[in-house]
Amino acid sequence: MGDIILTMKDIDKSFPGVHALDHVNFEVRKGEVHALMGENGAGKSTLMKVLTGIYIKDSGSIVYEGKEVEFHTTREAQDAGVVIVHQELNMLGHLTVAQNIFIGREFKKGIGIDDKKMNEEAAKLFGKLHIDIDPAETMSNLTVGKQQMCEIAKAISHKAKVIIFDEPSAALTEAEIEELFKIIRDLRKQQIGIVYISHRMDEIKVITDRVTVMRDGTYVGTLITKDCTKDDIINMMVGRVIYEDPKTQSSVPKNAPVVLKVENLNAGRMVQDVSFELRKGEILGFSGLMGAGRTETARAIFGADPKTSGNIYINGKKVEINSPQDAVKCGIGYLSEDRKRFGIVVQKSVAENSTMAALENFVSGLFINKKSENKIAQEYVDSLATKTPSVDQLVVNLSGGNQQKVVIAKWLIRNCDILIFDEPTRGIDVGAKNEIYKLMNRLAEEGKSIIMISSEMTEILRMSDRIVVMCEGKKTGEIGIEEASQETIMNMATREI
Amino acid sequence: MEKIKQNPIVKKIGINRIVLCGVLILMYAFFCMLSDKFVGIQRIMSALNYAYFLGFLSLGVTFVIATGGIDFSIGPVMFCSALISGYCLTSYGVPLVFSLLISVLVGALFGVFNGYFVAYWTVPPFIISMASMNIAKGLASVFTKTQSVSWPQSVDANGWYRNFVKVGNFPVGLVIFIVFAVICSIILNQTKAGRYILSLGSNKEAVRLSGVNVKKWEMLAYIICGTLVGIAAIFFVAAYTTVQPGYGDTYNNEAIAGCVMGGTSMAGGLASISGTVIGVFIIALLQEGLLALGFSKDYQLIITGIIVIVAVYADVITRRRKN
Amino acid sequence: MSKSGVNAPEEKKGSVFSRQGSQKLIVLLVVIFLFIFFSVFSANFRKYTTVLSIMDYSYYIVLMAIGVTFPLITGGVDLSIGTGLICYSLAGGYLIVHCGWPTWAGMLVSILFGVLIGTLNGVLVSVMSLPPFLATLCTCMITRGLGSICSKNFGISWPTGGAEGSWFRNIFKITIGDTKYPLGFLWVVLLVLLMGFVLNHTKIGRYTIAIGSNKEATILSGINVRFYHIMAYVISGFFAGLAAIAYSAVFSTVQPGTGAGFELEAIGGAIIGGVSASGGAGSVGGSLLGVFVICLLKTGLPYIGLQANWQQIITGMVLIGAVMVDILKKKKAQTA
Repeated sequence: MGDIILTMKDIDKSFPGVHALDHVNFEVRKGEVHALMGENGAGKSTLMKVLTGIYIKDSGSIVYEGKEVEFHTTREAQDAGVVIVHQELNMLGHLTVAQNIFIGREFKKGIGIDDKKMNEEAAKLFGKLHIDIDPAETMSNLTVGKQQMCEIAKAISHKAKVIIFDEPSAALTEAEIEELFKIIRDLRKQQIGIVYISHRMDEIKVITDRVTVMRDGTYVGTLITKDCTKDDIINMMVGRVIYEDPKTQSSVPKNAPVVLKVENLNAGRMVQDVSFELRKGEILGFSGLMGAGRTETARAIFGADPKTSGNIYINGKKVEINSPQDAVKCGIGYLSEDRKRFGIVVQKSVAENSTMAALENFVSGLFINKKSENKIAQEYVDSLATKTPSVDQLVVNLSGGNQQKVVIAKWLIRNCDILIFDEPTRGIDVGAKNEIYKLMNRLAEEGKSIIMISSEMTEILRMSDRIVVMCEGKKTGEIGIEEASQETIMNMATREI
Repeated sequence: MEKIKQNPIVKKIGINRIVLCGVLILMYAFFCMLSDKFVGIQRIMSALNYAYFLGFLSLGVTFVIATGGIDFSIGPVMFCSALISGYCLTSYGVPLVFSLLISVLVGALFGVFNGYFVAYWTVPPFIISMASMNIAKGLASVFTKTQSVSWPQSVDANGWYRNFVKVGNFPVGLVIFIVFAVICSIILNQTKAGRYILSLGSNKEAVRLSGVNVKKWEMLAYIICGTLVGIAAIFFVAAYTTVQPGYGDTYNNEAIAGCVMGGTSMAGGLASISGTVIGVFIIALLQEGLLALGFSKDYQLIITGIIVIVAVYADVITRRRKN
Repeated sequence: MSKSGVNAPEEKKGSVFSRQGSQKLIVLLVVIFLFIFFSVFSANFRKYTTVLSIMDYSYYIVLMAIGVTFPLITGGVDLSIGTGLICYSLAGGYLIVHCGWPTWAGMLVSILFGVLIGTLNGVLVSVMSLPPFLATLCTCMITRGLGSICSKNFGISWPTGGAEGSWFRNIFKITIGDTKYPLGFLWVVLLVLLMGFVLNHTKIGRYTIAIGSNKEATILSGINVRFYHIMAYVISGFFAGLAAIAYSAVFSTVQPGTGAGFELEAIGGAIIGGVSASGGAGSVGGSLLGVFVICLLKTGLPYIGLQANWQQIITGMVLIGAVMVDILKKKKAQTA
């Protein structure tokens, strides 16, 4: 480990309603791999976005190579030698590998572009990294893993001194991760400072020198990797008081009937052989880290995405669900994690959104009976305590929590007995969160069965009767609330080799 | 200005439509001032003749644009309908009633064709429009052996269909058109079909995840459009008698202009039938006015083009500001 | 699984069997097949004069197709090229015939007019962010009106055989001895090679593909996307201008109010030739081959007793078919 190349001190950043970074400290030395860890929403990505000029910090200082700096665009950061390898790839699928690497700074030859030289340079770059990729290959023909390698090569070609890897291994296979590690070790030898964001505990142990842990937008501490255990890190990540008392006991009787049974569900890479049961009146928590395949499982059950195999039973009867239409007919409702894209039609009114799934109940003759539509919408506005001036209000004008209530109303009006809540409180402020929780408890008491996908540990522990944990597309555990704790869940959610 | 906007009556009618009505009246006054030939019932009747068929086209395309799509095959399809049904009437002796039905049917079939490929195959609407525009032209030419078709005059035995447009000097066509506009408005705003068409134009995925068969409803919008285009064909021949194969594409833009001027958003999800109706009247009056002033049809093409650009750009800006 | 991730067999680049190459090969086979098909069924088709007339018909469409390939690759479209062509030809021709301008000056005006409308299209799409089909549909109507106004609504004949200033017709068809040679084909092929170079080996082409592939990522790479997006439409306009000259040279009279539908033949040709309707992919050579499919149908159908209008219907169908193939290919790539 060499000298300090980058120091971030007292970084503070707020967004409307959220204190995203609260005086965070972070440093990187030359030739070290520094892991940045924390639960979803702990502020890791925000911190890195502040560093690379995507966000502008409110206060604090960034010292890079001995000078205080502030980057305003990713381009500026790039030119200074601070580059980020994004989780989502910024690639141009129709161009070749070399063309992608040198986009915007092509070598010229006369009036044309010197593709030959670009290929040679790219080949040299790959040679240095010991990657076997043909620079003349079309980008979209490569596997995701190799595309990631190209992104890394692109980062290095900027003469980077600090490289940030934002969950680089999420889409990689075992062998590809091995290659990635080889590259990272090489870079380390070249005295490049590396920030490595990951959820995978085993990787952290293998590849990193130090670990910095963040929690809820604050800096928790930094450890030397070889001197600490997995449990140390997990404790730092979760070590927070749970204010609202968690459930200690399932409120569902042991003999409650099974309303939904999923057997060996498969859908792509992200859903592999998932089986579970959901009982009447139960809130079944789905826990796991980002990219664990929970949303994909929900979408496959709901018929939103095609599934490759697996059986679904509702009240003991086998059903075929190939589209959301089928699912809704079976009484399943799905509240998406991304309300604006998948949940509501923002330019339509509260009433119109509320009856979206059950419009046929409000058609008399040929016409929509707007009176009864408004009446029922108003009923649910009242019972869910949705804050809206009237049911004619466009949904776009409501706050996140109230939009969520409109989506809930949509499924309740459709009389769905099985509700899938995918991140029900994302982007919702604390007060409204409590209301949503109360509402979910009430629904469960009334006999609805709920699957709740959540990345917030407190939410899982507070709400669930039983918890299913997923990791990388597979179900890795299932425990009753009685035995559940943050540590046990986190252990199941992180991968062991 | 804000105060006017908050006025309940203004709010109900919509500031956009009030402005459009103002434009319509000003335009009429303007043409009357410039040309004394313009004053009088004849010009108005003539403008109305133009407004009828254009109005039906515009009503139709409003449904398609509401889904976020586009159809610029409507002009040629209208001609195709008029030619095929007219040829059946004049050359094969098909009774008039059936000929009229054939006209509507041809339009509807094109709607099915367009809608099927857009909704079930996700072919971009502009590609389908381009293809069916040419298929319509080709089909009409093949069917009529590249002859123009003259529908019966009002004095002929089969001439009663002309009463759809006017009886004496009474504009029956206006009544029928308004009735259809009201029906369209009801379909769009009061029925399940309209609700789903508008909603899927706004956010297709959210509607699909509500368990709605979005493909079916998207296709329906194109079928409604096609049917109205078939009706437009009847009003075209009732007013102008003769149809020639190979034409009709100039009306596409005018119909779209009427629609976007009236406040229907090219991005989908937002449509106004009453706006479309006023927009159509403006285009029809413009056409008649330019003619009265001695300008050729070509100026109309240019002006309509500019109108569409301005109207759509205005929509782009409003949406940008909202985000 | 892990093994295939690292050592996945990759397609050979540059061979005729690579994905884009194979489509070109298939289209070439279709062209040959159509030619043989018509030749077998019609003795008249087998004549040299038929080949000449196919060539004559093809020039202006090929030129339009070369140009429109660029907006198509950005994920847009240019519907104004058909009526635009007639408009530019009428404007140039009017100056030559009625104002006594030399032919070269008229030709220049045609081209510049095309570039001007192309720039307008580019600004509407790139700066004002109008949907491309709508913006160019409007300029389609505008050029149609302008053309008629320019020519005072009369047909215009550019100087014909032997007359002063008719030299430009020799560019496309030259008579040596008693035989006529389709010289235009040479120019067309040269232009295809040139624009192939522009598309694949210059910044303009590179960024055209980049915009069609992923506009956001292109912007993030620090590229002046606005400029290059406009350029795609300028190229399309420029080639519509060249097509105007080809059209004027091949046909004796240019009629105002025509030209609608030409764009379909050009765009259809480009898409048959492998340009993706959703942008990003395509080649100029492919567009050339695709146009020949359409031209063969157009000229060949009458020889087997079908009206020329069938060609319109078939072109429409073939266009939809080509797009469906593109969609299926993409679906397959997604699930794979």
